[in-house]
Amino acid sequence: MNLDDFALDALGELFNVGLHRAAASLSEITGQRIDVDMPRLLICPIEEIEKPLAELVGGEVATVHQMFGGAVAGDAVLLLEHDKAAALTKLMTDGEAALGGRLDQSAREVLAEIGNIVLGACLSGFGDMLDLPVSFQVPRIHIESLKQILRSLRVSTNEVQYAVIAATQFRLSTLKVDGYLVVAVGAKSLTRVSQALARRIA
Amino acid sequence: MIEQDALSTGAPLVNLDQIGDALDVGMLGVDRHLVVTMWNHWLESATGRNAADVIGRPLDDLGVSLAPAARSALERAVGGTMVVLSQRLHGYLIEIPAPSGYEHVCQMQQSVRILPVAGADGQPAGALALIRDVTERVAQEAELRSAMESAQQANRAKSDFLAAMSHDLRTPIGAMLAYADLLAEGIFGTVTDVQREKLLRIKQVGAQLVSIVDEILTFARIEAGREPVHRESFDASQLVRDAVLSVEPQAASKKLELVCRYPDRPLSIDTDVMKVRQILVNLLGNAVKFTDHGRITVEIVDTDPEKVSFVVADTGPGISEEDQRRIFDSFVQGTQSASRAQRGSGLGLSVSRSLARLLGGDVSLRSTPGRGSEFTVTLPRSAPPRSP
Repeated sequence: MNLDDFALDALGELFNVGLHRAAASLSEITGQRIDVDMPRLLICPIEEIEKPLAELVGGEVATVHQMFGGAVAGDAVLLLEHDKAAALTKLMTDGEAALGGRLDQSAREVLAEIGNIVLGACLSGFGDMLDLPVSFQVPRIHIESLKQILRSLRVSTNEVQYAVIAATQFRLSTLKVDGYLVVAVGAKSLTRVSQALARRIA
Repeated sequence: MIEQDALSTGAPLVNLDQIGDALDVGMLGVDRHLVVTMWNHWLESATGRNAADVIGRPLDDLGVSLAPAARSALERAVGGTMVVLSQRLHGYLIEIPAPSGYEHVCQMQQSVRILPVAGADGQPAGALALIRDVTERVAQEAELRSAMESAQQANRAKSDFLAAMSHDLRTPIGAMLAYADLLAEGIFGTVTDVQREKLLRIKQVGAQLVSIVDEILTFARIEAGREPVHRESFDASQLVRDAVLSVEPQAASKKLELVCRYPDRPLSIDTDVMKVRQILVNLLGNAVKFTDHGRITVEIVDTDPEKVSFVVADTGPGISEEDQRRIFDSFVQGTQSASRAQRGSGLGLSVSRSLARLLGGDVSLRSTPGRGSEFTVTLPRSAPPRSP
């Protein structure tokens, strides 16, 4: 499954709009200026996801994991390096969260809220584009190695699965946090997105 | 029998209200106009408001205080979006007095999930807020945070004390050694051979003391996060040769063989040369100190394009499995130390590992009791910049 350059650019723009919307929401909640970079996009079969992700992120990672359904269905993950996730929640809560560099339960919930906002803002773009709402399940937080996270993404399915990786950077105060959105979707869902993008471009 | 009748007719045994009343979470349902549609037992007992008084009335008319973000969050959920309100960012959804025993917290602290509810036509028709009381957990986290802050403060005070004490010790030791030098040189009168020998012993013991004080100083700086990294390019092979020179006299006096293996070409690495030297001298010093027969080998392993390893091996008594687990801890020494004379501060290996980690690397150990030990220092060819 290949998206041409135009479709890839359009998809990148969709994520970009979603991320900026998310940054605006987070700024409003925290009262702090939060910026995001234009995301870099990569699409690959789910079996091949480990290599490109391992080049971007390593060690223990913190993820917010949210299944979504509707016209486009799949599994969405916001992935941050654990230490950066701890620093991010600490900054967003005026230094309260994550004492000693670890995410306590309340800090994990802050991360769940951040993830819910970011994933919701980005994926609702699909729904807007397809004129069909995308519904989400309750977010779940995981702190584990990248390998374990990727294993949980490989849901058994009868169709070929693809991963869309959007790499960006959140900037607030003096902190820069690399964040990765990994969206696992089946071939049918990706085809629907691709067709909708083609209609929009046309 | 009621259950059997219900099962046989296929009618549901319980409805959503009954489920809500059985749960240990608050369940607040609203329709698309934010009129209350559900108010379970949990909310009744937490707020003192009966469901009968509340259901069918607009949320704004209930006289309950909502968090600033509550209205927009409910509206977003009514629009079809799943919403999470974390306690740390919002405190609560509905203002409710803190539970008994936690009156010092202003309100009950809540963790909230708001789920969109679809109508029969599949379109968003309302929202259901699930409210969890997390006051106890938040109070425990605050206590833990306070305890950790106190411990960190105490640790900082300890590090500052160690640094100040070590610094204050170093100055008089330096003066003692300088006077010993002057005496040995005969500046204050003729010195006999026996006196010169004793002065030399004073200098040797003084140098040992300086080395221990330096270890404590480095340990205190690392603990306080004040150990700077000065990167420069240097030849790793030359560094090994220098480190070996510093332990040659002690090795010779114990008739130990010293073997060096390094590439026959310069091997440039970009890191803090003084710290790598300190690590190697420490490991070689330990090897000589604890080995009575045989040899000490130091080798550079240059097979990884990103890293360089320095391996220091000895034929000493080895380290028991139990000691291997704690040998890198501060102020810990192996139980097989032969005598008190061989003991140091118990910081050498801890400091060595901390320094290696400061440079982006690590120190590992393999040892077999009775056959010797092998310490491997692995460092990136280029030390990473220190994070702020």
